[in-house]
Amino acid sequence: MTQASVLAQLQSVFDDVFLDKVTVTADLTAKDVAEWDSLIHITLILAVENRFGIRFRAGEIEATHNVGDLANLILKRMPS
Amino acid sequence: MNAIDAPALASVSHPTVKALWSENNPKFWRELGLCSLRASSFAEVLPLSTIRKRAVKQGLEHPDGATPVALKLAIVGGCSLFPFHDLTEHFLAVAPCGGFRTDLFLGDYDNYVSEILEADSPLYQFAPDVVVVIPAFQRCRYQGRLFDPANAAREQAQQSATQLLDLCRTLHERSKSEVLLVNYPLLPYFDPGPYRVRTLASDWSFRKQVNIELGLRAQPYVNICDLEFLSAQRGTLASTDERGWFESKQPCSADLQVDLAREVAHIVSGLRAGPKKIAVLDLDNTLWGGVVGDDGLDGIVIGDTSPRAEAFKSFQHFLKTLPERGILLAVCSKNDEDKALEPFEKHPEMVLRRGDFVSFKANWRAKSDNIREMARELNLGLDSFVFIDDNPAEIEIVRQFAPEVTGILLGSDPALYAREVMNARLFEPRTITVEDAERTELYKQEAQRQTLESSFADMDSYLESLSMKCVIAEFRPVDVPRIAQLIGRSNQFNCTTRRRTEAEVQQVIDDPAYCAYTMRLEDRFGDYGLIAVVVARVEGALFLIDTWLMSCRVLKRQVEEETVNEMVRLAALRGCNRIRGVYLPTKKNGMVRDLYPRMGFSTVLDQPERREFDLVVSAYSPTPTKITVLGRAALVGAETTARGNPAA
Repeated sequence: MTQASVLAQLQSVFDDVFLDKVTVTADLTAKDVAEWDSLIHITLILAVENRFGIRFRAGEIEATHNVGDLANLILKRMPS
Repeated sequence: MNAIDAPALASVSHPTVKALWSENNPKFWRELGLCSLRASSFAEVLPLSTIRKRAVKQGLEHPDGATPVALKLAIVGGCSLFPFHDLTEHFLAVAPCGGFRTDLFLGDYDNYVSEILEADSPLYQFAPDVVVVIPAFQRCRYQGRLFDPANAAREQAQQSATQLLDLCRTLHERSKSEVLLVNYPLLPYFDPGPYRVRTLASDWSFRKQVNIELGLRAQPYVNICDLEFLSAQRGTLASTDERGWFESKQPCSADLQVDLAREVAHIVSGLRAGPKKIAVLDLDNTLWGGVVGDDGLDGIVIGDTSPRAEAFKSFQHFLKTLPERGILLAVCSKNDEDKALEPFEKHPEMVLRRGDFVSFKANWRAKSDNIREMARELNLGLDSFVFIDDNPAEIEIVRQFAPEVTGILLGSDPALYAREVMNARLFEPRTITVEDAERTELYKQEAQRQTLESSFADMDSYLESLSMKCVIAEFRPVDVPRIAQLIGRSNQFNCTTRRRTEAEVQQVIDDPAYCAYTMRLEDRFGDYGLIAVVVARVEGALFLIDTWLMSCRVLKRQVEEETVNEMVRLAALRGCNRIRGVYLPTKKNGMVRDLYPRMGFSTVLDQPERREFDLVVSAYSPTPTKITVLGRAALVGAETTARGNPAA
């Protein structure tokens, strides 16, 4: 799986979480989305884990800076 | 296995809901409710919740202008309340009772103790209707050593339960709100091994002990949200999320939060919805396997002879327990009545018998009609009916033509029937009273009466056959609570709707200007108890009827006639020559608008807000009835009146 295909799947996760349409790109950050506060962030991460069938480790999410980083982390946690 | 094939990736996109939403179709709300009801995981509920919020934002109307009930809900706790509050709001919005529009207050993280103890906290300023309290799970541990004696841990468990319930009491007393207290989920750790259950000091046993103490000691206004049960039902491993705790203080896994949110919505709906009172059952392939009309008495599947037969028998055993909690049983089946009755009368393996049912409708009419008729005969609201059938077409007919009735469609495996009925969660007791247990008897008598009524040629011979007996008595101190209860509750057969407290009823007894009496009725089917109340005021030669009310259960029994007979007798004894009846209309007492004229009174005042009627005592001769009057009211205070009022 590539970063691009992960990003494509992330789009549908974002559609489930945010009320307004958010277009997923690698350099998208929380600051770019008005709805994306620290609380909805919790929901987003739970939804991502659910969608990809993975579990992040404590602290990993904090270390990501944009959606591209998140996609790479997802790839890393997905069983090969 | 590639993660893409993992079940978590399965489609949870709810295409129908999305399509209805994008068409702006009002059917969206029903479909959303159904999908939410079926959804069992966070992954399924999250998109539904998001779509619902979008629909609300766009102003997509509920069908038939149904407006959700406004609810002020506060959630406080020892954990992050996000996304739990979102899930709770969602399940409340789609609750089967019509839904709630929730105004939410969220406590600060792990600040619930001070929010509850400080009288001027924002929690109280919010003035919630309902408060959900999620205690800090991490603090529910035995403070001692694993090998301490059981008593030490038991005492500590009692203490933690008492502390929490004290907090709930403060909360309730200050806010007057209903309290939903979440108890402790079970943990998925093997440690300390089999010793776990030989002590109360292990986390496993200690939590269970605290939960038991909470449940047994909880005050009536505290509703326990049993997270212990929910975590066991889902599985403790799937319920626990350690990383979620460290990362964002999640109390448990997102899936268990779905279960908890659903439970909160269930309890809140239950606090407001009327209880279900009667389960109406199909027969063929519901109570037994096969079709009795085709297969015959010997051909139906019930008993201990095969796995399927055992399953049906076990389902009957389950149903037989429902009357214990005040739920009535009835039958509604497409069958010839004699064939339908045969198994109940002749089949040795049947658990349920004819006497277990308060109504038995086996005919070829639409089930919706039968259920409506049942509701009339038993004098029960249609919304208190649950209809249980294995045939989706019958469920659908009832849904369409008696939409107030709740349907349970049984699946294809009788082994699961009892579970399906139990997990529909329609018969959960709130509190059990002695009256609940007796109610089955009362309704059965009513049904027998109705059957008798329809089989008699004329009303007179029917009334005759009832062997009614009535005892009329002056107001007595021992009857005061029941009199006050009837005065407080009667709305329909109530001419003036004047309410009186127990103390005020006592004043009527003490004041010689009043002449008041009660009536009790019994017939060969049972005792109705005290069913009618009359309060008259003697004003010179006028006998003024201040209150006349009666329980609607004894309508059309000639109790009204006997009431007037007694009225005239007492008026004469008190030296009155005229009786005046008053009718004060309300929204509910239309049935007595013409009561007095029907009883031979003449109308002397006819205004929209007040009607008055007179009866001349000397011109009246008692109406004969089929009621045997066993006793009449003693004349209390008459002499006093005679002395105090020379005109009398």
